[in-house]
Amino acid sequence: MSRLVSIITAAEAELRNRSLEGFCRSASLEELLTECEALERFRRSSESLYERVRALFFLYAIHRFHLPEKPGLRSRALIPFSGYSHLLKRRFEEAIELFLAEQKAAGPSDAISSALAAAYRGLGFQTLADQVRRSVRSVRGNQWMFRIGHPADHPLQIHPLLKARSDGLFPVLQEATPVRMDLSHSGWSDIFFLGMDFPEGARVLNASIDLSVRSGSCSPPPRPPVEAYLRLIEQPVLRLVSVDLGAMAEISSLAEVFDFARDYLGLLKAGVIAAGVVPPGLEGAGQPLAELLARLTGQSGWGIEIVSKVNDIPKGSRLAVSTSLLACLISLLMRATGQTRRLTGPLEEDERRLVAARAILGEWLGGSGGGWQDSGGIWPGIKLIQGVLACAGDIEYGVSRGCLLPCHRVFDRQEVGEETRRNLERSLVLVHGGMAQDVGPVLEMVTEKYLLRAEAEWRARQAAIAIFDEIVAALRAGDIRRIGALTHRNFSEPIQTIIPWAGNYYTDALIRQVGESFGERFWGFWMLGGMAGGGMGFLFDPEVKPEAQERLQEIMSRTKRRLEAAVPFAMEPVVYEFAINERGTWAELRRGGEALMPPGYYALMVPRLLRVEPRHLAPSQVGELSRLGAACRTAPAYSGLVESLFERLLPQTQDAEARDRRSLEALLSEYGFDRVLHRQIQADLRSGRIGLAQNRLPVSSRIEDVEPGEVIDATRVLDGSYERLGLEALAEGALAVVSLAGGVGSRWTHGAGVVKALNPFCRLGGRHRSFIEVHLAKSRRTGRRSGTPLAHVLTTSYLTHEPIAAFLEAEDRYGYEGPLYLSPGRIVGLRLVPMTRDLRFAWEEMPQQMLDEQAQKVRDSLRAALIDWARRMGEGSDYTDNAPLQCLHPVGHWYEVPNLLRNGVLLQLLAARPNLKYLLVHNIDTLGADADPALLGLHIARGGALTAEVIPRRIEDRGGGLARVNGRLRLVEGLALPREEIEFRLSYYNSSTTWITIDRLLELFGLTRSDLGDQEKVAEAVRTVAARMPTYITLKDVKKRWGKGHEDVYPVCQFEKLWGDITALPELDARFVVVSRLRGQQLKEPAQLDGWFRDGSAAYVESLCDWE
Amino acid sequence: MRISKAVITAAGPGQRNLPLQSLVDQDGVEKSVLRILLEEVLRGGVEEIAIVVAPGDEAAYTRVAGDHAARIRFLLQEEPRGYGHAVWCARDFVGADPFLHLVSDHLAVSRVAKSCAEQLVEVAASEECAVSAVQTTRESLIGAYGVVGGRRLPGRQGLYRVDKVIEKPTPTEAEQQLHVPGLRTGHYLAFFGMHVLTPLVMEQLGRAVETADGSSVSLSGALDELARREQYLAFEVAGWRYDVGARYGLLTAQMALALAGRDRDEVLARLLELLASRELGRQGHV
Repeated sequence: MSRLVSIITAAEAELRNRSLEGFCRSASLEELLTECEALERFRRSSESLYERVRALFFLYAIHRFHLPEKPGLRSRALIPFSGYSHLLKRRFEEAIELFLAEQKAAGPSDAISSALAAAYRGLGFQTLADQVRRSVRSVRGNQWMFRIGHPADHPLQIHPLLKARSDGLFPVLQEATPVRMDLSHSGWSDIFFLGMDFPEGARVLNASIDLSVRSGSCSPPPRPPVEAYLRLIEQPVLRLVSVDLGAMAEISSLAEVFDFARDYLGLLKAGVIAAGVVPPGLEGAGQPLAELLARLTGQSGWGIEIVSKVNDIPKGSRLAVSTSLLACLISLLMRATGQTRRLTGPLEEDERRLVAARAILGEWLGGSGGGWQDSGGIWPGIKLIQGVLACAGDIEYGVSRGCLLPCHRVFDRQEVGEETRRNLERSLVLVHGGMAQDVGPVLEMVTEKYLLRAEAEWRARQAAIAIFDEIVAALRAGDIRRIGALTHRNFSEPIQTIIPWAGNYYTDALIRQVGESFGERFWGFWMLGGMAGGGMGFLFDPEVKPEAQERLQEIMSRTKRRLEAAVPFAMEPVVYEFAINERGTWAELRRGGEALMPPGYYALMVPRLLRVEPRHLAPSQVGELSRLGAACRTAPAYSGLVESLFERLLPQTQDAEARDRRSLEALLSEYGFDRVLHRQIQADLRSGRIGLAQNRLPVSSRIEDVEPGEVIDATRVLDGSYERLGLEALAEGALAVVSLAGGVGSRWTHGAGVVKALNPFCRLGGRHRSFIEVHLAKSRRTGRRSGTPLAHVLTTSYLTHEPIAAFLEAEDRYGYEGPLYLSPGRIVGLRLVPMTRDLRFAWEEMPQQMLDEQAQKVRDSLRAALIDWARRMGEGSDYTDNAPLQCLHPVGHWYEVPNLLRNGVLLQLLAARPNLKYLLVHNIDTLGADADPALLGLHIARGGALTAEVIPRRIEDRGGGLARVNGRLRLVEGLALPREEIEFRLSYYNSSTTWITIDRLLELFGLTRSDLGDQEKVAEAVRTVAARMPTYITLKDVKKRWGKGHEDVYPVCQFEKLWGDITALPELDARFVVVSRLRGQQLKEPAQLDGWFRDGSAAYVESLCDWE
Repeated sequence: MRISKAVITAAGPGQRNLPLQSLVDQDGVEKSVLRILLEEVLRGGVEEIAIVVAPGDEAAYTRVAGDHAARIRFLLQEEPRGYGHAVWCARDFVGADPFLHLVSDHLAVSRVAKSCAEQLVEVAASEECAVSAVQTTRESLIGAYGVVGGRRLPGRQGLYRVDKVIEKPTPTEAEQQLHVPGLRTGHYLAFFGMHVLTPLVMEQLGRAVETADGSSVSLSGALDELARREQYLAFEVAGWRYDVGARYGLLTAQMALALAGRDRDEVLARLLELLASRELGRQGHV
């Protein structure tokens, strides 16, 4: 029997928990391939879900991490496009069959292994997601909702008390719910995938808390952070209102209820569905919503109004505010439709469990999903939540080891005394650090590492489990100081061993400063939720808590100001006041004069009513306005409403908009905006002369793969003479390194507009390092090796220049001893609202990675909304509806090398280094690229004007490559390929690293060294060559921030010229060299980091660096 | 995906004579059931047609096929070993191509301008996978059909991803394994007698034939395996199916064709006349 299959099927925990890497380390290529065959057979035949899933993850890890390390695996190979196409459509089984057939026919290769790894991983997560989905549907109490396919079958009725009008007004049912705080950090053990396989290890200490945002000395008292309201209305619609998001919709069709991303009301819609008011089974039913509402309310022409409100708690708090609101809405709607025993007050235990199960359903419907502890706020006080082993009779029995729903045990006062609870409140400072992060990839990493039982991570999980026991014991003993020490250790050791990306530079900086400020009185740090940087806790000696709250606010604000160009922040950091909520979710019925919605509701809705002729207002609306008037005079909660109404009716934003417009104009003129060129591009875009589809080369272009002899293979050891030649050149000062740092790294932060080059992305050499620091450390090492410090240039743009200059100054140039120059950009573009034609082309005609079922549905709905947005904003018009810097764009890295000529940096370099002959130009994210003497020697010896480095393609390498286009060997951009599948016929991917002989490049521009002082001549030369370069229209994501930590992402249109196209010029003598993947790969997205760290890439980069 | 081949199975012991029966089609022309089936298939864009028959039936089928006889290739099922085995008999004809498959004892009448086969082929071609036509069926009737379980494709009307296939399930099996969210309580998706299948089905059937050791082989088993290995969809065609083999099935099919066709008014008038003269007359009202 296969050794890996025996690990998966072992009954004894010791063997079952054995790691994959232990076996793979010593196995040969052949042994691994034989194991892969056995695992493939096994996963097809096994009836056990978790055995299948673990086999899939083993297969993924072998192909992703272990096979590529084994000698003898072919690197150059082609991946069948049809398999890739299946992968995009999530047809994983078919993709795997095709890739395995290709592997069988052409032999194993790095390329096919990369494709198989992607397919196995996708299928593994799909299988797990399908199982959770099935369990969510099958939970008792949820099943009936999937069977209701017609309004006539709907079994629910609105509670009679809600129909009893008083003075013509319906009563208002109000629900208020605390949020949950994870008291232990559970090592993410509440993730469904983990909890359902390892229920013994899935344990969480969870407290329900009230919150308020601290503001000076008169902070409002903490209160339940989420509220929801419901009442009947005399209109056959479902009216949804989000007070905090300022959004309202009157829904009259069933289809719209299921359209989640159409507006900001997706969470309310998910609540309506998951509570069974519009059951999920009704999706796709053609009947009118009014029919359903009539059945529910018992009166034709009536409808329901649902209002949600988050009390000033910013997004990303890591306190599960969204899930708590969802649970709050579900509880409210269940009460209103008679699905609970009591209309008001607390819920019973079985009802809470049902609300929790439906909140999971609601999250799944909305395409999101946290862990099972997130709806903990509906329970009171402090509780232990733990996974449950599936037993006979459970729907999960025989499928997974654990049940979907955990069990909750609320601690009574005997176990955790009153004094301990108050001491915890007196000691803990809760904050929101302000960082914006996507926790999704972390949850996938946790699952993957658990299933692989990666050695270090598995040990860390055991350590976290032991710490958990100690935290529970300390809580029972009332020892808060000990809890602080334990949560601190938990964060700094096991949590960051399991996921190094749970921590970050910002959090480390905060912890260090707090430690320095408070010494022994700082008892420990406490990470909340998926990762640090947003919601966090700091435990202090109670005596210093008020001071600590103030100091933390200062420290966070100051650190944020220092780092905001390098780290994505969504908001200004805040400190909370908090209190443990001892009653859980709670409802009240407001009747008679009390039957009003919250004040924020009226600030939003009254202006609409005031626009209606008074005689057209319904009597109930008139009655409500009159009661509101009385409340404004007498009720303190409504006292500030009149001012808010005036602010809304007469908005002050016009001034701010005018200010923004002026500052945008100033930026445009400062950074070299070419208005004539912009208008030309705008006109061409609108007329359809340019666009995404027009980026492509003519369909008749002949595009062929490179022949083996046409590139130099530098993945093998090169002749020693090249290295000697390179070292001599380095010693003479003949080379300068140019790192392209003008781009904003849209994919790195999803359009947050921070400087990727400065992002402290990973702990290397003992601490977090930025991209720039890594590049300088490599140059430092090369300079020391050759005996001459290497000249290094960082190109910049309007967005990156000042932050980079400031950082280099603050960090004392990272101690770099060689000449270091900044080369500022000379041209900037203004973004445009995209053409709907281009959006449709990108989203409908280009192959797209489909998402899991429900998430894909939400994405489709969002895209429809964005197409509508582009139409409303005016297709092709200037994009100015954002912070000014977010409206500008760099115009592509083609200009970054000519900028050296235009801005005088090359002239300065030549003056300082008269022997300078060569440039090594590389992207900021190509971390493995260094001034390798052998490659420099190769470039010199071969005598080309330019040598471009390429790497053997893997499935994730998208965006063109090396090709013979109409007879000429050149780099070709993915945007320019007439058909997607052509890329899959190209063996090599462009690493964007080029070696340039300066004089030959000047020759191409019609210049000599002596011309570099002639600004006009240089500018004209650059313009002439630029005109020969293709202009690409691209879509980029840009974030727009608003409210309390909210971010919307919009697709905007911009134009770019790209450096690789220089190789298309016939007079340029371009050569191509194949380098190793470790050297040539690029880090484009944070989700790549974990793989990059695990596959030896990070260690390779560290080996190239001298940090000090 | 292009579908240019069709396989019609007509070798079942109780099935062999049904295609030879005559009906008046929607255009008022008298035709054999076989000819109506062939026209349905041809409207789906198919170019090559194979009919799986029992030995000796070829001549009778050729006779009633009318102008289409020349297009037909007969494949023999030497012994009655089940529906799945009959489909497998077309393995060489199908080769590595996807194919349209119809049973010969069901007639399909479309509710829209496109025929049922046209609708199905269009979906299969755009989704590039196997697709079975299905019809929502009450639980009291599912014991006569192959039934699929799965879930609705988001945003797609009438299209489902198939997870499970069971032949003639009991209501208990259906409740436990074939529930499709969004269907009314007690309703399931049962086969319509029309499928677009991929060559993997033949591979699965081949395995089933090998292991069946001479006993009967079902198609549903192979389709269940297909659902695990490939994307496999179910499509609610805009139409009705009529089992001509059922008691009064031929009559019902005839009425359905007539009421959906050119002679609708005439047929309705005759029915009324029949009712008036026989039923009301018997009661002494006429």
